[in-house]
Amino acid sequence: MIDFLLEIGFEEFPPALLKRTAEDLSAKVEKLLIDERIFYRSIRVIYTSRRFGALVLGLTRKQKPQIIEIQGPPKKLAFDSEDKPTKMLQGFMKANNLKLSQIFTKKIKKGEYACGKKEIAGANTDDILGKEIPEIIRGLEFPKTMVWTKGGIRFPRPVRWIVALLDRRPLRFTFAGIKADRYSSPNQHFSFTPIRLEKPREYLILLRHGGVIADPNERRRIILKRIKQAAAKIGGKPLYTEEMIEEINCTIEYPEVVTGEFENQYLDLPEEVLMAVLKVQGDLIWVKGSNKFICIFNGKKKAVQNVRKGYTRGMAAKLYDAYFYYKNDLKQGLQNMLAQTKKMMWLEDLGSLYDKATRINRLVEMFKTVPELGIDALKRSAMLCKADLLSQMVREKDFTFLQGIMGGHYAEACGEDKQVAAAIKEHYLPKFVGDTMPKTKEGSVLSVVDKIDNVVGAFLSGNRPSGSYDPFGVRRNGYAVVSVIDACSMNISLFEIIDNLLKLYNKDFDKNIISEFFIERFTRYLQDKKFRYDEINAVLATWKGDVTDARIRCEALKKLRGKPDFTKLVIGQKRVRNILKDIKKIGVVNGELLKEDAEKKLYKKGLETKSKIKELFQRRDYFKILNLLLAMRVDIDKFFDDVMVMCDDKILRNNRLALVHYINSLFSQYADLSQIVIEGENQQE
Amino acid sequence: MRKDNTFENIIIRLKQYWQKKGCLLFEPYNSEVGAGTFNPATFIRILDEKPWNVCYVEISKRPRDGRYAANPLRFQQFYQLQVIMKPSPSDIQRIYLESLAHLGIKFKEHEIKFVEGDWDAPTLGAWGLGWEVWLDGIEITQFTYFQQAGGIDLSVIPVEITYGLERIALVLQDVASVFDLKWNNDLTWGDVYRQNEIEFSKYNFERADPEFLISLFSKYEAEAKKVFNDGLVLPGYDYTIKCSHIFNLLEARGVISISERAKMIGRVRALANQAAELYLRKNSEKNEEESEEK
Repeated sequence: MIDFLLEIGFEEFPPALLKRTAEDLSAKVEKLLIDERIFYRSIRVIYTSRRFGALVLGLTRKQKPQIIEIQGPPKKLAFDSEDKPTKMLQGFMKANNLKLSQIFTKKIKKGEYACGKKEIAGANTDDILGKEIPEIIRGLEFPKTMVWTKGGIRFPRPVRWIVALLDRRPLRFTFAGIKADRYSSPNQHFSFTPIRLEKPREYLILLRHGGVIADPNERRRIILKRIKQAAAKIGGKPLYTEEMIEEINCTIEYPEVVTGEFENQYLDLPEEVLMAVLKVQGDLIWVKGSNKFICIFNGKKKAVQNVRKGYTRGMAAKLYDAYFYYKNDLKQGLQNMLAQTKKMMWLEDLGSLYDKATRINRLVEMFKTVPELGIDALKRSAMLCKADLLSQMVREKDFTFLQGIMGGHYAEACGEDKQVAAAIKEHYLPKFVGDTMPKTKEGSVLSVVDKIDNVVGAFLSGNRPSGSYDPFGVRRNGYAVVSVIDACSMNISLFEIIDNLLKLYNKDFDKNIISEFFIERFTRYLQDKKFRYDEINAVLATWKGDVTDARIRCEALKKLRGKPDFTKLVIGQKRVRNILKDIKKIGVVNGELLKEDAEKKLYKKGLETKSKIKELFQRRDYFKILNLLLAMRVDIDKFFDDVMVMCDDKILRNNRLALVHYINSLFSQYADLSQIVIEGENQQE
Repeated sequence: MRKDNTFENIIIRLKQYWQKKGCLLFEPYNSEVGAGTFNPATFIRILDEKPWNVCYVEISKRPRDGRYAANPLRFQQFYQLQVIMKPSPSDIQRIYLESLAHLGIKFKEHEIKFVEGDWDAPTLGAWGLGWEVWLDGIEITQFTYFQQAGGIDLSVIPVEITYGLERIALVLQDVASVFDLKWNNDLTWGDVYRQNEIEFSKYNFERADPEFLISLFSKYEAEAKKVFNDGLVLPGYDYTIKCSHIFNLLEARGVISISERAKMIGRVRALANQAAELYLRKNSEKNEEESEEK
């Protein structure tokens, strides 16, 4: 049994990429070992800010031998009457280097055959790793890379050393111009002298002596322990998230801890601002309610004094600025900021930020009949929601992400209604897929109309997205619009909002282009909700713009599909579609003209179903509606079996077509079921 | 820590250190710049493939950062020590760290952190990847591997190391305010620059005449274009730098909207790109002539 260590060393890696790259690398090494039939006992992911890799213990020196079977001639031709090998079998044995003892017979589909079985010796682990490991490193993928030598390889940061030690010997390969070797690098706060490794098992311990805790899980445990101890000393609760700890974990090699404090007056700042300052100043952890912070730093215990002093000064300077902005903003007030938005251009040719606010303030009037919605608060928040972009706080780049949140605080401080403040605060949500949704009704509506205005504005100013070009994040906005509407189950038509908005712009623009964009976004949204594309197509084919409604229809459809009746129904719908395809003029059904039993029955059933589902539509009980439609299936089939639609009598024919159309209209109220793909049917796209 | 770490001694020591590492010692540019990157010793010299190692102090003007001498760590003008090494040596990080040791910073007693910081200068069409270097939580250096300048992908990659000299001095002298920094043993930074900070803050934020500046911007831009057309890289680039400073003044004055801002940045970048292309074109012609002569 031997061990294997792979460590790629570089200048400090982007923290957000580190963990997943290290885990990806280690998973690929593991897969390689399994695929190549190399046994190993354990594998451990390694990473710090300056290295990642994998430590594999208990490998076999060689691949497991492989036993293969080779099929030879049929038994009848392989052996003669005395059961001796024929010439043909001998030829087969010679060609495959097989002895008679390796020959056996086997029954397969085609009959009984002579087969050879032989063992292929495994290759050396050494050779396999030497060949494949550099390929694995080369195959790692990154969103952003750089070059550091002319014509050199691309990587997120310059690679500076590689350890690839199998047992006591380095593997022979070169990556990024660096030869794999046995020298690792210590924490630079401890030493610059490379660490010589005789064998992989020494790795963790020797690196620890060099000020590097290479195992990320161990490092994380130490970080959490240090935070806990420091917080206990202060006597408070440290405020942190998993992500913050991981971020810290990815920026250090050896965690030490220090605490610091800031002036009490800064506790007047909104918590979000304080948290932002702590984050910018190096992922500091706040002890909630106090003026104390905890700092995990990379280095030696001896540095505690200096580190405390430095971070405390850094905090003081940044808090000074934040407080300065905050007080000035409060002095100025939201109303004054609003006045200034008149001078701030929003998008070219589309007026100022003030114009935007005025526009959405007028647009939200269409929601005045929505129950439990404070229309006055909504209108006021629409007017004020962009004012904080003129605040000093939001104009500072470290705090720009607090847009909306600051507006909410300033609104409250200026005596605005709580509902108004909440809506302003929430209206940028969700900022990304999976982000939290606005909680209040007013905030949700404001979020939706603001984003629709962003989308429409971008289209009107010639900035519609295409390919990778989407400077205004129009796609993200569009997706957020449908997800917010769906999350708060609003009963409104997206198309109606767009219509009203275009009227307010008073510009000549083909609204179908915008509708199509939203249909595409909504399709994506429904796909992410795990609906199948044909379910989505069927529902959206007859869609009138109500997002929640369409989602519920998809759900009912999903629930019912797979029932045998449903499949037959869809086939029937496809027939109907074909029959109606080329007919231009269709009249109304005349009950008197119905002759056959089957058509009379179908008509009756149709009338009954129609009156039943009418009320169900109002209640959006789509599952029941679908079931009722499904229940028409027998009559529909009977009709097609017994009645000749395209008969010679023109009057009869037209009446029957009208009946088919009438029945079809009942379905298309719900969805275009003919879009559903039935298994085994060729997909028509 | 060394006792004689006056502001001027820090500068002298760093220059000596980089001189020993093979850098040519250069001087600041002769018109206002926002960063040492604008100096032709960086922006122009990094474009081609020829080796170039240089070190100089640059007086950086950031009108927006003025605080009327009221904030201990914010000011509208400060000193950078700029180092360019092209190509970047493979042990450059260590060379940099040892420059800090050369100033008397002991690694065992501090935290030196390389914090991811992708750098870009939109007015120069330049970007690179690298870090902010933090000494005990205070940013003291930008460390960047340039990838592009003047819109051109660089093939020989330079490393740019930009020290914030005041910030380093604050740590080395263990003082909390820049105005208390010892410049030499008799005078402080405040003695030298306090009035400068107050007056320029007032000018930048309150008195600068937007119309005057906007007309200057357009005139400088026109002159730059004209000069480029005459095939003169460096005089044209000189006006590009002037445009950039005027833009910074206008921005501090708070008179340009978001979209206007983007447009002006685009106009300066167009000039910088033109300078870069012209420089490379002239250079390749020159090289061809030289090789023909041989």
